[in-house]
Order: sequence, then structure tokens, then C-alpha cells
Amino acid sequence: MASLKIKNLYKSYGSAEILKGINLEIEDGGFLVLVGPSGCGKSTLLNTIAGLENITSGDITIDDHSITHLHPSKRDIAMVFQSYALYPNMTVAQNISFGMEIRGIDKAIRQKAINEVSSMLQIGELLNRKPSQLSGGQRQRVAMGRALVRDPQVFLFDEPLSNLDAKLRVDMRTEIKRLHQRMGTTIIYVTHDQIEALTLATKIAVLKDGYLQQFGTPNEVYNNPKNMFVATFMGSPSMNLLEAKVIKNSDDINIEVATNSNNKLILPVSDIAALQAYENQKIIFGIRPEAITDPEAADRTTKKIVERDCLIEVIEPAGSDTFAVINLGGAESIARLRPDANINAGEISKLAFNMSKAVFFNPQNEERIR
Amino acid sequence: MKEHLQQLLPRLVLAPSFALVLIFVYAFIIYTGYLSFTDSRLLPSYGWVGLENYEKLFKLRHWNIALKNLAIFGILYIIISTFLGLLLAILLDQKIRGEGFIRPIYLYPMALSFIVTGTAWKWFLDPGIGIEHSLHLWGWESFHFNWIKDRNFAIYTVVIAAVWQSSGFVMAMFLAALRGVDSEMIKAAQIDGASGFQIYRRIIIPLMRPVFLSAFVVLAHLAIKAYDLVIALTNAGPGNATQLPSTFMYSYTFTRNQMGIGASSAIIMMIMMFSIIIPYLYGELKTGDSK
Amino acid sequence: MSISSQNNISSGRLTRALIYSILILFVIYYLLPLYVMIINSLKPLDEVRDGNLMAFPKLWTIDPWRSAWSTAQIGVEASGLKPYFINSILMVVPATLLATMMGAINGYVLTKWRFRGDNIIFVLLLLSCFIPFQIVLIPAARVLGFLEVSGTIQGLILIHTVYGIGFATLFFRNYYAAFPTELIQAAQIDGAGFFQIFWRILMPSSMPITVVTIIWLFTNQWNDFLFGASFSGYGTTPMTVALNNLVNSTTGVKEYNVHFAGAILAALPTLFVYIMAGKYFVRGLMVGAVKG
Repeated sequence: MASLKIKNLYKSYGSAEILKGINLEIEDGGFLVLVGPSGCGKSTLLNTIAGLENITSGDITIDDHSITHLHPSKRDIAMVFQSYALYPNMTVAQNISFGMEIRGIDKAIRQKAINEVSSMLQIGELLNRKPSQLSGGQRQRVAMGRALVRDPQVFLFDEPLSNLDAKLRVDMRTEIKRLHQRMGTTIIYVTHDQIEALTLATKIAVLKDGYLQQFGTPNEVYNNPKNMFVATFMGSPSMNLLEAKVIKNSDDINIEVATNSNNKLILPVSDIAALQAYENQKIIFGIRPEAITDPEAADRTTKKIVERDCLIEVIEPAGSDTFAVINLGGAESIARLRPDANINAGEISKLAFNMSKAVFFNPQNEERIR
Repeated sequence: MKEHLQQLLPRLVLAPSFALVLIFVYAFIIYTGYLSFTDSRLLPSYGWVGLENYEKLFKLRHWNIALKNLAIFGILYIIISTFLGLLLAILLDQKIRGEGFIRPIYLYPMALSFIVTGTAWKWFLDPGIGIEHSLHLWGWESFHFNWIKDRNFAIYTVVIAAVWQSSGFVMAMFLAALRGVDSEMIKAAQIDGASGFQIYRRIIIPLMRPVFLSAFVVLAHLAIKAYDLVIALTNAGPGNATQLPSTFMYSYTFTRNQMGIGASSAIIMMIMMFSIIIPYLYGELKTGDSK
Repeated sequence: MSISSQNNISSGRLTRALIYSILILFVIYYLLPLYVMIINSLKPLDEVRDGNLMAFPKLWTIDPWRSAWSTAQIGVEASGLKPYFINSILMVVPATLLATMMGAINGYVLTKWRFRGDNIIFVLLLLSCFIPFQIVLIPAARVLGFLEVSGTIQGLILIHTVYGIGFATLFFRNYYAAFPTELIQAAQIDGAGFFQIFWRILMPSSMPITVVTIIWLFTNQWNDFLFGASFSGYGTTPMTVALNNLVNSTTGVKEYNVHFAGAILAALPTLFVYIMAGKYFVRGLMVGAVKG
């Protein structure tokens, strides 16, 4: 197992730049998730790590050895593809051992490796089947088996769960995490699903338009987004972003969120010094749905809970939670309530704002103010 | 070194085909184009005569007959084949019992050589032994059908045989497209109260637009190429009544020793073909890329 | 889908009867020439000449078939069609296989090993499918002469191969375009090279398109007349040209029954392919019609 570094990586097709100066690093045994909307360059980045696409400039190293100019088969990596990419004309066993066969490895050794991997993934009884005779979940396992049998330095996963149905996806997610914990392998994993990213990763890299937006632990990315894109992309329902004005009276800094009624919503934000510079200016106020709750559900371990009257527009019960669409500052916002909170649509109710979770952005460059 | 070879391999592998096509298609076209500006007769010769061959060509009665015939043949062949193909496809799409038996029968002529088709229809339409003779024997003495021997009508027999050969294919194209129509859209139209006839006229047939285009291009391509059928059916006769540009080119080049004029007629044929094919391919490739 | 299941265009008894009548009428239309050819190839000549073309033979005979196959006068020789049938086989089989192989590898490169300018090569190959062959007749005759293969089977194999490459490439390219590129990438990571990927990964999955291509090329080349008439020599004439010579020979009596038998003989290989593998034949027609 090994660490992997990407230094100043650029990739373009003709005049179109796909990756614009990516710097990343994942330690030995880490689980790096590349996440972003479609077209952000995450799959291209993975393909350049695999060597399936050439890079324009920059360097990729595994354990400080450059692999930039090596053929994919020489990089000591294994890859699990979105479509699984199982060879349709070969049996499961042949699929798993094809790489060893190409490298001219002895049949007995191949058989042993097949047996080990198939018992680890519980696909022993599938070994003589063709891919077309397997279910989606079984194909997924075989694809992982083909990667595992190589025992590589780095595993690459390209949206491996996106072709599975919802239930199976959750199961396989757990299984991948378990596998990672047991084997301690270095994994690079591409997904567009931010929940997958948060659950699996030790480090998350959020990409958009070929730029690395933020690189950090799941906790950092979720709670301390560097910009508005990361704030809205991570988390579901996504973070509420509202226009607000910074007001200072004596020592307190408040923000004023314009509501569409005459009652102004004023919220205190005492300890963010950087906001001082924005007095009387428009900023973007971000708050996650779980930080706006019915008063009984508010997190009492933090002192910065303020309660305000809000007009409840729509109530959406979702089983474990109830989401309320409220109107703040003319924009719709989502609050997350307990399922049995006694709050009804069309009424004005008191909601608790956990202001310790509030974040602020500069509306011009969309960067975080801190 | 090995890596380098792997990089070059794709090009190396493609090279023979590319070279062959470059020579046997594009260099040949240029050569024929060049000959069309020369005084070549029995053999190629390189005396430059400018556009003289083309001027002569368009003054030749045979060539003008050939063009007129191609227009008559092409238009009727395309329209009738398309109409028949669409009609049969729609009828076959009505949950027909024995469709699996009928469909291959409509389509099998496409597997035959035009020479075979021509031979079959030549005797079948021959007044002496063919259909006319049969009907006379069955008692319909007044029946007359001697188009194949009639200068004014012989070209229509070429249409009959050609339609017989390719309408089944057009049917197959339409049928494939009909089977691809989204059934929910049809249900929606039914809920809107459209009758079966209206559904076809207003919704389904307009949806077939790409198939009409494909059918047109394929049929036009076959019409311009048509050579064997005419040779076998009428041998361009009676007289010159079924002369087409393709037969004209062959006879002027190889039997009348007018290679320069033959080459210029081939160039005209190619221009006709490409003016249909190139816009079509351009459209197809463009939509293919955007997918 | 079939619209009939829900709508009323075909629900009435009368309409359905009408639909079936039209369909059956066309079954007759398409079968009639074949029927005429078959029954008249089994009649003695005077029965064809004096009798009814539609009627069953009064006297069944296979002599016309024997004659067409082995004794009929074709050109100057009374050899029947047999040697020409063999000529056709000798030129069509190698040309079909060669063009198919080249098309397969071309399609592989053009979809999975793209390089700068490959699109131009594809367009040039594609366009070569649609030229009127009259445009190449004169230079082709000269090049065949230059290569000293004029009038030989080899010369015709060369011609048929060259003009088959375009379609073969188109077929394989379209097929491989839908073949998942991830499989190629997986094989690359497994260490397989250019030819290993082709033979081990692509070819085993290419049976359908190979059959389609072979059928298409075989049918086109077997049915070719123009190249056969232009480039074959004495002793290398293909079947279609020989049939035409048989039918249009000006000497002697017109033996219609022999002509019909000959026409069926010329149609037999392609009809056989059609009956055995009609599905692939139709698929080839569709790819040939709908490009890109």
C-alpha cells in the first residue's frame, strides 16, 4: 500500500482545459473521494491516475516514484469501473485471472489467487458463470474481485455503485468501507453522490469545472465549506443561502434577513470578526436545514440558539424527519423538524436557529468570510 | 521502444486500407476526371481538350435520353417503393398472424442479383411467353401488355422490376421505425380521441421523417447505380429506350471507343450521387457526434 | 410497438379482411416471379413456349437444370454454368474474408484507438461505399493491367476487396462504437496489448457483426455484374455475367426453361444465405442504410 501525490496536474483536449492545476495527496491507507457534478473532471482525473489518459503537465507519484509516463499495467493500480467492464466472453474466473494470464503467471498460482479472492467476496459459486448470467450486485463483486486479485498499491473506483438499485447501493457501500478497514488499502473513489463521499472518505476532494474547490476531511468539507459551491453541493437537503445585511449596534454584530413581510428577521452573529468589515453591506448567510429546528429539537449544548417567528409554507414529512419550507428573505428555506413537532403549514411558528452553525459568504466571489 | 510501437500500431494497421482506398477510389476519381478533359478514345490519351467532352456529351441524343430515363425511372422508383414500403409496413404492424412468414417473402428479392431479377421479369413481361400469353390462354384475349417491347413504355418495366426488388427493403426500414414508436405517445393520442387513421396521419407518419430520408437516399443511390437490371431486362433497348447514364457510360467507353466522353459521363454520375450522399452523410455524422 | 392493440383502425372484421387481402396480394406479387422461374425450369421447352407460363408442368423434367449446370452453350463453350459458379466462389470467398478482416481491425482502431485525423480517414472510407463504380472502371482496368492481373481471379479479388473495405469498416465501426470503452481500459490495466485486446476481448464478442458483414459482402460481390463484365477474362467470368450471356445468346433457340434454371442457380447461394441467416441480412441492410 502506498501514498499518492498529484502535483499541479493540467489536462486539456485541444483548446478545452479539463483539469486546471490539481494538487492532491492521499496518505498510505487513506480513502480519497473525488466528488463533483457531472463534467467537473473527476473521472478524467481518475483516468489520468490510471494512465488511461495522458496528462498535459504536472506529475503523479506513488510513494514518491513518478508514474506519469508509465503504461496503465505498469502503475501497480487496479480499477473498478462504473459499468464493471467485465469481459463478456469470459467466465468469472477468467475475468479475475485475465491480468495474471497476460503477465504469464503460472496456472496453479492463478487458481490459488482466484480461490482466495472469491472466498473473500463470497463469489465462489459464480466462478464458472459468464457476466451475463450475474445480477448487478454479483457483477459488482466480480469487478472488485478482479481488482483485489492484483493486490495493487492503489485501488481506483469509478462510480462503482451508480448502476445498482438504492438498497443494494447502501449495502455495497458498507461492504466497500468494511473492505477498506480490513485491508487498509489506499483507495481513490469517484462519485457524484455526496452522501457516498461523506460516508466513505477519509479525505474528500470537491471538484467543479476542472478546479479543486476544497480538499479536506468529510467533517471539514461539510461544516466548513470554503465557498458557496461546496456549501450547496455537500449535504441534502442542501444548505440554505440567504441574502442578508450586516448591522452593527454597539459591540454586537447582527445580520438582517429581509422577509417578505414587514417584520425583519434579525439574527446575532457575535464572534465572527471578519464580518465587521462588511458593515451595512450585503452578504450571503448560509445555514443548514438541521440548524433550523422546532425549539424543542434545538441542540442545547450550544449557547447560540435564537428563536424567531417564521411563516411555515409547506410541511414535508419524511419519516425520520419532517422538513418545513419556510420563507426567509423572499427565498425558500428548509428547516428540519422532529417528526412529531406540532407545526402546521400556513401558520406562524417559533423556530430555533443554531447560529453557531451559520456560515457567511462574500456575494461577489462566493468565498467564505471568516 | 515497445511502448512506442504500441502507439504507432493503430496507424500502421489502418494504413493498408487507407492506401488502397486512396488509390482505388480517390486517385481513380481524379484520373477519370482528368481523362474527361482529354481526347481519349480507344485508349487514354493526354491531349487536353478542356470542356469539349462535356459539351459534346450534353448534345448527344443518347445522353439526353439516358438523363430523361433516369429522371423518369428514379422518380417513379423512389415514390412507388417508398409508398409501397410504408403501406406494407403499416399493414404488417397491425398484429398480423403469420407476419413472420410474410415479412421474409416481401424482402427476399433484395437478396437476388439484379441480373436474376432482370431475367425473371424479362420473360415474365415478354408478350410472347409471359403474362400476356398466360391471360390469353385463360381466355382474356383482349389483354395487351407489351410495354417491354414498346419504346415509349419500356422504361416503366424497369420501374416495375426495380420496385419488386427493393420495396420489401423499404418496408423493413419503415417497420423497424414503427416498432420503435413510443407506445405512451400513442396512448396519449388515443386519450385525446384520435382515430387510428388520424394517429397515423398526424403522429406516426410525421415521426417517420428520418426513414423517408434514408429510404430516399438508398433508393436514389440504387437508381443512379442501376446498370445490371437494365442490361438483363432490356439491354438498354428497345433501341435506346431504356438507356441510363450507367449503360451509356459503359457503351461509350468500352464499345464505342469514346473514352473521353465516357469519363465525362461518369463524372456527371458521381456529381449526381455525391450531391445526394454528402449532405446526407454530413447530417448523419453530425447528429451522431452530438449524441 | 404495434398500434393495433389499442386502436380501432384494424378492429372491424371488414378492415381486417381487407388488410389480409392486401398483404396476401403482395405475397403473390413477390413470389410470382420466383414461382414462374421454378415451375418453368421443370418443363420441357415446347411446354414453356406453347403452354401457360403460370401452369404446372404437365411433364416434369429436370433436364433444364442439368443443361444449365453442365451443358448449356455459354459464349463459345457448351460448358453450362458450373465453371462460372466455381469462378464466383473462387473470387467472392477470399474477397469477402479479406475485406471483413480489414474492416474489423479498421473499426477497432477508429473507435478504440482514436488519433488525430482518424475522422478524415473514416469519412474517406465511408464515402468510398457510395461512388458509382463507373467512375473507377477506366483507371481500374489500367491498374489491373499494370499489376498483370487483368482478367484473372486475383484481379477481381483485389477489386472486390478494395470496394468492400468501406462497408466492412462502417459495420464494425458502428458496432464497436457501442462496445464499452471501459472494457478496453480494463484490459489495458490488465496489461493486454493492441492485438491481445482485439483478439481476446473484441473478437469473441463480434460474432453478430462479423456474420452481418460477411453476408453483406458475400451478397454484394456474388451479385456483382459490372466488375465481372468489365474485368473478367476468358475462363474467369463470374456467374452473373455467364447467366446474362446464356440468356442473351443470339445463337440457337431460346431455351427459356434452361434460362430459368440458370437464373435460380445464380440466385441460389444468396437465397440460401437469406433463408439461413435472414435476421443478419436485414441487419446489414439497415446498417448500410442508416450510417453514422
